[in-house]
Parts: sequence; structure tokens; C-alpha cells
Amino acid sequence: MIKLIRRNLLRNKRRTFLTMASLAMALFILSLLGVVNDAMNFADESAIPDRLVVRNAISLTFPLPEAYEQRLRTIDNVVAVTPQNWFQGVYKDQRPENFFPRFTIDPETFRSVFYDLEWNEEEWEAFAEQRTAFAAGRELTEIQGWSLGDTITIKGDIFPIDVELQLRAIYDFDEPGQERQIFFHRRYVEEAMGNPGQNGTYWLLLDDPEAAPAVIAAAETMFENSDNQVRAETAEAFAASFTEMLGNIQFFFSMIGLAIVISIFLITANTMAMAARERTTEVSVLRTLGFRRNQVLGMVIGESLAVGVLGSALGLGFTAVAIQGATPFLEQMGFGFGGFALDSQVLVTAVVIGIAVGLLSGVFPAVAAARLKIVDGLRRL
Amino acid sequence: MIPIKYTYRNLFERRGVAFMTLASIGFVVLVYIGVLALAGGLRAAFADTGDPSVVIVMRDGTRAEMESSYAQESHRLLTTMPGVERTADGAVMASGETVTIQIFNRVDGTETNVMVRGVEPGAFGIRPGFEITEGRVFEPGRGEIIVGRSLAGRLGLRVGDERELGRNTFRVVGLFSGVGAHGSEIWGDYRDLGDSFRRSGYYSSTRLQAASPAAARDLIETVKADQRLQVQALTEPEYYELQSETSSGQFIILGNVLAVLMAIGACFAAANTMYAQVAARAREIGTLRALGFKRRSIMGSFFLEAVLLGVVAGGFGALLSLPLNAIQTGTMNQVTFSEITFQLRTTPFALFSGIFLATVTGVLGGLLPAFGASRQKITDLLREA
Repeated sequence: MIKLIRRNLLRNKRRTFLTMASLAMALFILSLLGVVNDAMNFADESAIPDRLVVRNAISLTFPLPEAYEQRLRTIDNVVAVTPQNWFQGVYKDQRPENFFPRFTIDPETFRSVFYDLEWNEEEWEAFAEQRTAFAAGRELTEIQGWSLGDTITIKGDIFPIDVELQLRAIYDFDEPGQERQIFFHRRYVEEAMGNPGQNGTYWLLLDDPEAAPAVIAAAETMFENSDNQVRAETAEAFAASFTEMLGNIQFFFSMIGLAIVISIFLITANTMAMAARERTTEVSVLRTLGFRRNQVLGMVIGESLAVGVLGSALGLGFTAVAIQGATPFLEQMGFGFGGFALDSQVLVTAVVIGIAVGLLSGVFPAVAAARLKIVDGLRRL
Repeated sequence: MIPIKYTYRNLFERRGVAFMTLASIGFVVLVYIGVLALAGGLRAAFADTGDPSVVIVMRDGTRAEMESSYAQESHRLLTTMPGVERTADGAVMASGETVTIQIFNRVDGTETNVMVRGVEPGAFGIRPGFEITEGRVFEPGRGEIIVGRSLAGRLGLRVGDERELGRNTFRVVGLFSGVGAHGSEIWGDYRDLGDSFRRSGYYSSTRLQAASPAAARDLIETVKADQRLQVQALTEPEYYELQSETSSGQFIILGNVLAVLMAIGACFAAANTMYAQVAARAREIGTLRALGFKRRSIMGSFFLEAVLLGVVAGGFGALLSLPLNAIQTGTMNQVTFSEITFQLRTTPFALFSGIFLATVTGVLGGLLPAFGASRQKITDLLREA
């Protein structure tokens, strides 16, 4: 049986190759699309449910008073609070490769909430002591070619000040993308702005993730009657809100994926039908020789399945290679900040689709071949 | 020459196989046109915005209006600049505006940022396309707002609805359109919104009407040269160009990358089909050759068949894509991080590009099989009979 399938595949090498190649191409596109889609998904899967974000209820463009930090700390189950501000600004120029998130933080409390970044203690001390210091993720320092002690200038836009910063610490983090940020002292910006006493967001660490709903409610009620009402949510929900802003784009991506799947199904089914039709006589001979319908059925399906599996493997192999090569390109296009990886979900989906297409496209010709009456088949000789 | 009739009759004769190939190439075309329609729609949303005679002034160093903020004095100074047009009754044709962003929920429950623009009465004079499609314009001091028609659809807002904007509650009294990307915004009185968002006395941008695009350039130079101002000035189209490029650029690249990859896949499919056609017709080819048709005509005939397949498939894909036109959707403006609503546009350019792609697919897929068909020996071909 297996031998027959193999022989059949090799019989028309050109056709097998062409079918496999088109299937591989389709799966390549499909998985690449999946990878890009994942990267556009800001939802931080590493987000620990013990962290909450508090921001102005109107939108992120409105700040919250400095004093809120102390008040948030008084809520039950809150063990630490730290501010984080989006500085934005421009480094060198507007080109996407020079864009990376720039946050201002308070070194005194930062690590009590963001405990999962890894630091060299001496570097951290140096960063914490110097008001004009900045800290960067390792990946970013490699991309930009920075080393400790280097000085950079960020031109302010939201904040009308230019900041000159010296690299004092480099951190590691196991999630790709998260190593592409810089942090510097909020005091620096505050003083340059004349101490407005504001923060963009407060990050809260809870001692019990179960308490999140209660803390969210408490935080929102706390400032209900103040000038600056707040919105509190888990870090995960906060990240997800950025994905939501992209709107239907992900839906369009899925539609494109669907069209591709239909397209490859048609291609493979077409080829399998051609392959089976060509062999009508042969099938009848096999049947005459005593092969049963089921065996004929299995043979044709097995063949298309083999095309499906091999094609998928080829396509995904392409993707794996392409991601390495295409990451800088994808980043330039502005699809997410790094973090391009072929994750298991995309992988499994692609393999399942590849196999399903292989199977389904074999079914019709297989049934037709198996149903054929021996005499009819032989008559066509 | 082999009659063309032979070519299309052949396709029709083997319509099962031909249709499958046609459909698969058609879907490739559909995807390509779909992505181009997305990018085209986004571009169009910005392209209709702005007048080259209008100068927009923002604080120096900012890319978008809502990042910018400056005090009233600068705004007053700007409106007195030489070169700013005046209306028949002597009013300066300028509008100081304050732009903020507020979180809203879309109809589907997802969250988005919406641009809220406080405008002065001069705002309408410098935007001649502005029209109210339902209700009326807001009246200052009464907590009224008007909403861009396409945005209203996305947010499920109707005339008469009330919403909290900043500290105060506002009532929707009208819907508007005709001002391009502003159709994704909420407008209200400068003072009302400034008060509610605590931005009173500050401006995000000032728009100045010049007599002509050339006069606008002069006005920009005047503004830039003024030492009292720390601002940047550019024409409205220049301002929106950046947002258009940044927001739609990635779709255009994505569309082209997808198209090339998918077309390669479809080429394999087309080649497969044509090889099968050639193989199935060995005897016919032999007969044609025996009748005296040249190798070149045989090749030409099969090649034509492949091209025809491509063109028809392209037309089929284009036809499939037509319902996409005018679908209303929205995404994030990548510069302002706020909602930009737009309509998918299957422009003639997108349709043509799709058909062209399919034709190329047919050409490339048909080349080798056609060549193969013409190379075979008559004796070999006829022996198979």
C-alpha cells in the first residue's frame, strides 16, 4: 500500500511538485499572516493578573495628580504602587526603526511593581542615583549599538522639552519586545516642566490576584467625586485595549486567511481529481487483481494526505526561515514592536489546515475511484 | 494560426478543471483587491481633508494636533499675521481649535479613542465642504455637540443622545460630513469643550486661511520667522499626508507582499492545469501537427489558453471583490492613536491591478507547458493514440 502511494506520488513528479509547492506557498502566507497578527496583538500574555493599571477615565492624554499615588496605596490588597508615563518624543528622526517606547518612572518604587525585569544591581544603583540616567532593554541596546555610558537626546513632543540621557543600566526580560523600551526618571521631566505634579498611569501590585475586581471597584469609587475620575483595569485588559483600537483589521486578516484556504483547497482538489481521473483504468486493474474498494479509497486519500503533510512542512519551514530574515522588514512596516515568533497556536492551525486540505481534496476523487465499476473502468481502455 | 475558437472551446470543454483553476486564481485576486481597497479607502479618508490654501499651526516639535498646546496670546498673534484672509464683513478667516481624545465604546463593545475638537465660529468658513446631514449645528454655551456621520455610525450615536465629555454632559444635536478625516471626530464649541476638559485658554492648533496655495507658503514663512512664536506651520494637506502615509503604508506593503506570494502559489496551480491540458490532448496536438500546424502555432495556442484563463480568472476575482466596495469600517490612526473611519474602495486602479496580477499568473503558469507541448515529436504524440 505505502509503496503504491509513494510510487504514485513519484509517477508524475512535476505535478506532485507543483501541487506541493502551491500548498506550501499558501501555508507559508497563512502562517506569516498569523505571526503578524499575533505581533499586532498588544495583549501581553506574560501579564501577571496581580498587576492593575489606573489611568484618567477620559483617556490616556489626560494625566492624574501626583497625590493619587499615596491614596491608591491605602486600598486593601495593594502592596505597591508606581507611576509610569509615556514620554514619546523623537529619537534622531521619525523613521520607524528609531521608534521605541520611552517611559518615565520613579526608581524608588519601580521595581516593587515591575519585579520581573532582571537587573545588574550595580547598574541599577547607578541608574537610580543619576537623575539624567536611562535604562534600556538589552535587545534595544544591541539594535541601536548603545553601551553603558552613552548619551542620547530625545526631542520632546507631548512634553515640550528635550532630554539628554545617559545609559546607566541594561535590563533583561524573557518576553521578546519587552526589551525594546527605555526608562528614565520622571523627576527629570517634572522639574523641566516646572513641577506640574502629574502622572499618566499608576501601576498597582496586588498580594492576591483574586482581589483584582474589588481593588478596581475601590479605586474607581475612591476618585468618583474628584476632578479626575479614574479607570482601573488589569494590565492585560489595558494592553488589550490597544489591540481593540486597531478595530476590524484583525477581522480582515482572518478573511484574507479564509480566502487563501479556499484557494489552496481548490488547487489541491483540482490536482487530485486530475491524478485520479488519469488512473481510472489502473484502479480497475487493481480491483480486478483483488484490491478492495477500501484499499483503493485509502490509496488515493493517502496520496493526497502525503501531499498535504509534505506541503505543510515545507511551507512552515519557509516561515521559520522567513521570520528570521523578515523581522527587520516587518518592524519597519510598523507591525508591532518585535516579538515575531511562530507560536504553537499558529503552527498547529497551519498544520491542521494543511492536513485537512490534503484529506478533503482526496475524498471526492477517492470515492469516485472506489465506486467505479470494474467493467466501466476497463472499458475506457 | 490555430483559430482562437479552438482555444476557448478547449477551456469550455474541460470546464471542470478550468473552473477550479479559475476560482483559485480568482480568490488570489480577491485578496489582493481587498487589501488594496483597504489601503485606498484609508488614503481617501485623509485625501479629502484639507485645503492647500489653509495653514495649520501647532506647537513646535509636535506631529499631531492633540500633542500640541499653546496659550491664547500666541493664537491672537497668529490671527493678526499679514496674509490671513478676511470675510466680506471683515472677520478674520481663522479658527483656533482644541483637540483632545476621549475613550468611547464602539457599537460592537470594543474600545477606541475618539478625537474631540473644540472649534471657534471661524472653523466653518475655512472648511467650505462642511455640511450638516441631520439636525443642526451646535450653539455655543449650551453644551451641544455635533458628530461626524461615519463616526456616529461606529459609536451608535444619534441626534438627541447625551454623552459625558470631560467633566460635563453634552447633547448630540447634529451629524456632519463633507470634511474628510474630520468625519471621524466630535465637534463642539471651543469654550464649552475647553471648560469641560480644563483646557480653557489653550489651543492645540490654529488654522489660517490664505488667499491661495502660494500665499499659504508665504504665510508659513512669516509665521516661522516670527521670534515671538515657538510654532511650526504647514499646509493642511501636508499635515494629513503624514497621517495617511503612516496609516495606510503598511497595508499597501502588506497587499503587495501577499499578492506576490499568492501569485507564485497560483502560478504553480496554473502550470499544473496547463500541463494536464497538454497531456490530455497529446493525440490532438499530434493531429494538429500532422495537419501542418507549426510548432509555434501550437505553442501560441496553449499560451493563449493560459493567458485567457488568467484574464477570465482576474475578471472573476474582480467581480467577487465588488461587494467589498463602500463597506464602512475603521481603524486606529497611527499618528493620532484615535479612531479613523473609512470606506473600503475597490478603485478602478485596484480592480485593474487584480486583473493584471491574474494575467501575469496565467502567462507565467502557461509558458512552460505551452513550450513543452510544442517540443514533442509528432510520432510520439500519435503513438499514444
